[in-house]
Amino acid sequence: MNLLDFARGPALQWSLVIFVVGVLWRLLGMLLLRTRKDLSKPRRDAAWKGLRLIALRSWPRKEFLGGTAFGEVMGYAFHIGFLLALFFYVPHVLFFADISRGLLGTDLHGLTGLHWPTLPNGVVTLLSAISIAALVAVLIHRIVNPVKRLISNFDDYFSWLVTLGPLVTGMAAFAHLGGWPYERLLAVHLLAAELLLVWFPFGKLMHAFTIFVARGSTGMLFERKGASL
Amino acid sequence: MSSPLLGEFLRSRGVTRRDFLQFCTTTAALMGLSPALVPRVAAALAQARRPSVIWLPFQECTGCTESITRAHGSTLESLIFQGISLDYQHTLQAAAGDAAERARETAMQENWGRYLLIVDGSIPTGNKGFSSIAGRDNLSLLQEAARGAAAIVALGSCAAFGGIPGANPNPTGAVPVSAIVKDKPIINVSGCPPIPVVITGVLTQYLTFGKLPELDALGRPRSFYGQTIHDRCYRRPFYERGQFADSFDDEGARQGWCLYKLGCRGPTTHNACATVKWNDGTSFPIEAGHGCIGCSEPGFWDKGGFYQPLSTGQWGSARTLGVAVGVGTALGVASAALARKRQKDAEGA
Amino acid sequence: MTGTTPTTREPDPLEFDKPRVSIRKPEHRFDSQGEAPDAARVERAMNSFVRDFGRTAAVYMESCIHCGMCAEACHFYEVTQDPKYTPIWKLEPFKQAYKREYGPFAFVYRALNLKPKVTVDELQQWQHLLYDSCTVCGRCSLMCPMGIDIASLVSQARHGMFKAGLVPHELAAVTERARREGSPLGATPKVFADRCEWLSDEHEVEITIDKPRADVLCAMSSIEIMKYPDSVVATARIMRHVGADWTFRLDGYEATNFGLLTGDAAAQKELTLKIIHAAVACGASVVVLPECGHAYTALRWMGANMYGKPLPFRVLHIAEFLAEQVRAGKLRLRKLGKSATFHDPCQLVRRGGAIEAPREVLQALGVELREMYPTKGANWCCGGGGGVVAIHRADELRHKVFKIKMEQIEETGAELPVTSCANCRQTFDDGQAHFKWDKTMHSLLELVADNLVEDAQ
Repeated sequence: MNLLDFARGPALQWSLVIFVVGVLWRLLGMLLLRTRKDLSKPRRDAAWKGLRLIALRSWPRKEFLGGTAFGEVMGYAFHIGFLLALFFYVPHVLFFADISRGLLGTDLHGLTGLHWPTLPNGVVTLLSAISIAALVAVLIHRIVNPVKRLISNFDDYFSWLVTLGPLVTGMAAFAHLGGWPYERLLAVHLLAAELLLVWFPFGKLMHAFTIFVARGSTGMLFERKGASL
Repeated sequence: MSSPLLGEFLRSRGVTRRDFLQFCTTTAALMGLSPALVPRVAAALAQARRPSVIWLPFQECTGCTESITRAHGSTLESLIFQGISLDYQHTLQAAAGDAAERARETAMQENWGRYLLIVDGSIPTGNKGFSSIAGRDNLSLLQEAARGAAAIVALGSCAAFGGIPGANPNPTGAVPVSAIVKDKPIINVSGCPPIPVVITGVLTQYLTFGKLPELDALGRPRSFYGQTIHDRCYRRPFYERGQFADSFDDEGARQGWCLYKLGCRGPTTHNACATVKWNDGTSFPIEAGHGCIGCSEPGFWDKGGFYQPLSTGQWGSARTLGVAVGVGTALGVASAALARKRQKDAEGA
Repeated sequence: MTGTTPTTREPDPLEFDKPRVSIRKPEHRFDSQGEAPDAARVERAMNSFVRDFGRTAAVYMESCIHCGMCAEACHFYEVTQDPKYTPIWKLEPFKQAYKREYGPFAFVYRALNLKPKVTVDELQQWQHLLYDSCTVCGRCSLMCPMGIDIASLVSQARHGMFKAGLVPHELAAVTERARREGSPLGATPKVFADRCEWLSDEHEVEITIDKPRADVLCAMSSIEIMKYPDSVVATARIMRHVGADWTFRLDGYEATNFGLLTGDAAAQKELTLKIIHAAVACGASVVVLPECGHAYTALRWMGANMYGKPLPFRVLHIAEFLAEQVRAGKLRLRKLGKSATFHDPCQLVRRGGAIEAPREVLQALGVELREMYPTKGANWCCGGGGGVVAIHRADELRHKVFKIKMEQIEETGAELPVTSCANCRQTFDDGQAHFKWDKTMHSLLELVADNLVEDAQ
């Protein structure tokens, strides 16, 4: 078995299994904890309306914008670049369709007759480059900014690394960099993505899930009181 | 052996100045040189001495030789090829047996340190009897010839990377030239076989500038192997639009859509097929409706089925994932229960 | 609580001669209480912390991405630019403890010792961050891009600190007084009754005490009783003006709840239940809380949970009560014709949800309301909430923070700064004295009482 076979065979399967197990473990481990019924008389009955905080908190209140603009802009640049490259780069789409066929026996086209839209390679390259640049910028900020330096731990730096990994190896594979044969580059890219999957449930990357629960919970609690969201 | 200048030689073969310049122009373009350099290429070529070339065939199928000779007889490529002093090529030469071997030995002695060595085929490192010429095994022939060579051209994927003889399980222990010769410049002209014009292009470059072309990390001339088939493929727009043929007889295939899903290796294969094409610029495999099999890349024979898409991943079954869901859920429930128990204990404390 | 209670000596251990009410600056600080060994302190802190934990707090703990943006919302960070005042950093030992003791991967953390056990030294260090430099104002909770309610976690951490006996001297002392005497600042039932009698004579207003049945039960904060007695008079005047069937009760007049501020959950419950039982005893349909932010949180939002069932009466802050009266047309007010700006008490407005009520009352007073920037939910805290104003060693830092407030108010150019929280008010008084500022904070309640239009009767 060569490296690529390993990367897209056992490594892929195991990373996916670890991802699924880890995410469920951590999510359920939180969500199944006890809750206490709040007996106070709500100011507003429709507490669920507080769920709007999930969307609302995606951008800071104008009062807070000044000091946080760098983080917000870099955060968006990185997330948007990463997600678009992940979900709209042609080989990725084919890869996911392949998973879908492997697991469900069919893909989006088979299910709905629709074609998943894709982005031209040039656009994806640009997005990845922006994403990498933003990641580098936030790392520098994390090291230079006294607040972030103080509160950072291993998780922050390692999560940064495993996020950067697929982007850089993906770009390298795309550009055939480093004089390595493509298959090795592809294998390294796959392994980098698998490392991301494996680390995902155990570090702060889990915020991709918990952000909705945390914002939603706070939103409902505050809405109930009529407090500021 | 006499070595008149190349220009004189070509004229004696009836090649006109116009044909010669046109050849220089296309070759310069292929090598990625600026048009301004064409006169220099022409002048240098006309003045070039016909170097002595010794061609050693090892574990090969003669495909590479066929590729060159399949170039139409009247093309300049073939003429250029005749323009070198090909002093030993046992498939093509008239001499045979002891006479042929003597020709090789004489050429080597007369041009020691200056001749160009072309090798096609891989070299067996197992039993010496796997491949021999005139009673001599390939390995010692190569080692001897390499010592007196100015440079070596490893022609075809077998000589460059081990090729099909080197494919799994590699019964003869076949290795490429670069595994044996460490102290001479080696140009890998890979492909199974390489494109004729690429072979002559490399030789032209060598003749023109008297030095090796710029090579990529795999020892291939960048001018011909710098881009992937996919980079220059005329079907690329379909790829960008996500239009793929799903089988060789579907509508997509008839429409000429991208063959990526049918296993095309274009995105990972560095060669000039999509631009230079084959058979005098007629076509190349993708244009004929079949995906690239990546023959100019190392180990192309051992990279899984030719019809398996590059992006294929083995994701396991829905059942595996179901088990993962079950295990994850159980662990989550258990850890929550444990935490609740710790809370109870803490309340008691 | 040995070693914590300040020995009674002359003059009074409470300082009423200063712009803010606290116990006198201790000559020797006792910032740890009890005799427990270090390991036991840590154990108790963590046990308490773990015991409080529920789903929401766990999700909060798991969600922080260390973006540091909460620092931008914190007034203590704003004025010092010292990273240790980053709100989420104030929870660091508890975050570690959570991961180690309680999170889904707790056993992995313990087995591999990935998160070292929190030490008593760390907790002692963090006392400064959890008490002196956090007013639990919840501004950071509005900033957090993950939506973490950081302030609620600080309250929870304070429970752990209390259990560990690691509460700042002043807070431990006043909480202890509150439990022993029924009031943190010496407003015992006897003192309260005497004051009411005296105020009644002085101001010629009837102050009802211990009426057996009453529709409205009023409560006061000890700051008002001891320092701003005009508020007691104002409450009585307004109740009479609107024709309320009301009373104070000596078994439940004190709304200040230092249990909440200190992290002493048992004391908090005890103090809250007094009011609840008093209200039930007189059959009140409404409990009107005084101008006090944390009293509102304690009864309005936490009261029923202490009681164990829904409260059989409504809970209103006096500003909400006044707004209701304005809406009902029962409050006839002289128009002030001045400009005013409203300082939002954090517990009442940002975290309590009574955002518009005080503004409605100000409108009824005919003032030109000039909002600060930022205002309402995003307004800056005065720096004295959460018990901070009582802690002497926090004075310097608190004064730095107060500068933000002065600038904000100066920028509005308003004539009258008004608020509706006695704790904010004394923080302002203290700040005014410290900076020799020319602006005095006004009480909304007193402003209303001073401008009642009484019918010629």
